[in-house]
Amino acid sequence: MQLKPANPQLRRGLMAASCALLGGTAAQAQTAAGEDQSWQVDAGLLYYKENAGRLRTIEPVVSLKKDFGDQRVLDGTFVLDTLSGATPNGAIPSRKPQTFASPSSTSLTPRAGAKTTLYTIAPGNLPQDPHFHEQRAAGDLDWSQPIGIDNTLSFGGHLSTEHDFNSAAVNAAVSHDLNAKNTTLSAGFNEEYDQIHARGGDPIPATDYTLLERERAQTKNVAGALLGVTQVMSRNWIAQLNYAYDRSQGYLTDPYRILSVVDGSGSVTGYRYESRPDTRVRQSLYWDNKVALGPTVLDVSYRRGKDDWSVTSDTVDVHLRIDVGRDMYLEPHVRWYRQSAADFYHLYAIQEVPLPTYMSADPRLAAFTATTIGFKFGVKLAHTGELSLRLEEYQQKPADRSSPLSQLQGLDLNPGVKAAIVQIAWRQDF
Amino acid sequence: MHIAKLTRRLIWLALALTATGCNTIGVKPWQREILARPAMALNAYPVDAAIDDHIYFSKEGASGGRSFGGGGCGCN
Repeated sequence: MQLKPANPQLRRGLMAASCALLGGTAAQAQTAAGEDQSWQVDAGLLYYKENAGRLRTIEPVVSLKKDFGDQRVLDGTFVLDTLSGATPNGAIPSRKPQTFASPSSTSLTPRAGAKTTLYTIAPGNLPQDPHFHEQRAAGDLDWSQPIGIDNTLSFGGHLSTEHDFNSAAVNAAVSHDLNAKNTTLSAGFNEEYDQIHARGGDPIPATDYTLLERERAQTKNVAGALLGVTQVMSRNWIAQLNYAYDRSQGYLTDPYRILSVVDGSGSVTGYRYESRPDTRVRQSLYWDNKVALGPTVLDVSYRRGKDDWSVTSDTVDVHLRIDVGRDMYLEPHVRWYRQSAADFYHLYAIQEVPLPTYMSADPRLAAFTATTIGFKFGVKLAHTGELSLRLEEYQQKPADRSSPLSQLQGLDLNPGVKAAIVQIAWRQDF
Repeated sequence: MHIAKLTRRLIWLALALTATGCNTIGVKPWQREILARPAMALNAYPVDAAIDDHIYFSKEGASGGRSFGGGGCGCN
């Protein structure tokens, strides 16, 4: 009788099952299953495109994971972003043409020694800077290992650089398994330091736009903590609950956003740079559930967030992974998001009323709902590989987009955004 | 419900689950074959998750929750 060579997938499945028998968590079982593979590579390419000639992004991502055995794992992720297109500057549409300077300009009127790059927006159109172009490179490196019995320590760092923004962060976390490894408690912290050096300098918040008052590079830092519980609920259900807290401090103003100032009729009389508080405290609760329904896997998560800028949010995210034959799967995805406006968000400022200390027309701080609908299709490759394609559409619907002022009636002051998300990904164990 | 109140309740629930142990919730070691499937990992596709976190961080006022959220990006 001739013995057939061992099927690698069967072997790994048996190893995973063996590890499960020894009492590891689901995640640990996976790690053990991959012990005979030195490297795991995850590579993805994202193409993101917004409507109306707005932002386009091409983003390659590569993640490398090296398993050194005994649950000691090194994980690195590298990202390159190329962004281009038009980006709203925060001003509202007007009945008259509006002229703005690109951020690198040092003057709104051409004169000797001054750099002036202007763009003019036609009446009724949303003011957008058409010259936006940015490249970003980022990397993460994380290490995890067991310490003592039933404990895991992980720590890592993050570096990111853009033409006008640098960021560095460190993080560390410990987790502890108990209840026959049915429960995992974890606690972690994160410290991030950012440097903002906008083209032409960082605007002094709330100053008159025409004066182009800039200052040197500004900084901010973010300190965060995260507490989590992962619980095996049954043979086919695992749940996770996280509480996250972070505090940002420093220059939190967006250096490229302005705000229209209008008179009592709604005619634009000028512009101000936006101005945000220099601290922000955010909290969130995140609850994720994975349930196997036969071969199908349902992933449902809910997140509740709030901060001291009065932005509260709810997010519901649902994935349903359906096996198609032995080697393919289809994963429909629906996400629903809602947020309230920051207490200093305004579509515009009124000239007759004293200007508030803090004000922003950034659509990200407006009240809106957003939906993402799409699917992912995956094909298993030989030797534990996988190729996948993801197609999704993201759409924001702002709650407040009109004004009762006579000159602004009929104008869409915050049209929202619609975007296509295309991602191809490849995963392979070596 | 106020988030602090909800948080307190969830912490009490987690402590209660911890105290009651595997007698009431959880599985025996030999009952983990479904949980050991790669698709059952809570973060089965970390690259997808990282890309999503970046997109939503740059378009929305809230971020994070699953892990330390977003950040490290000017995202104009």
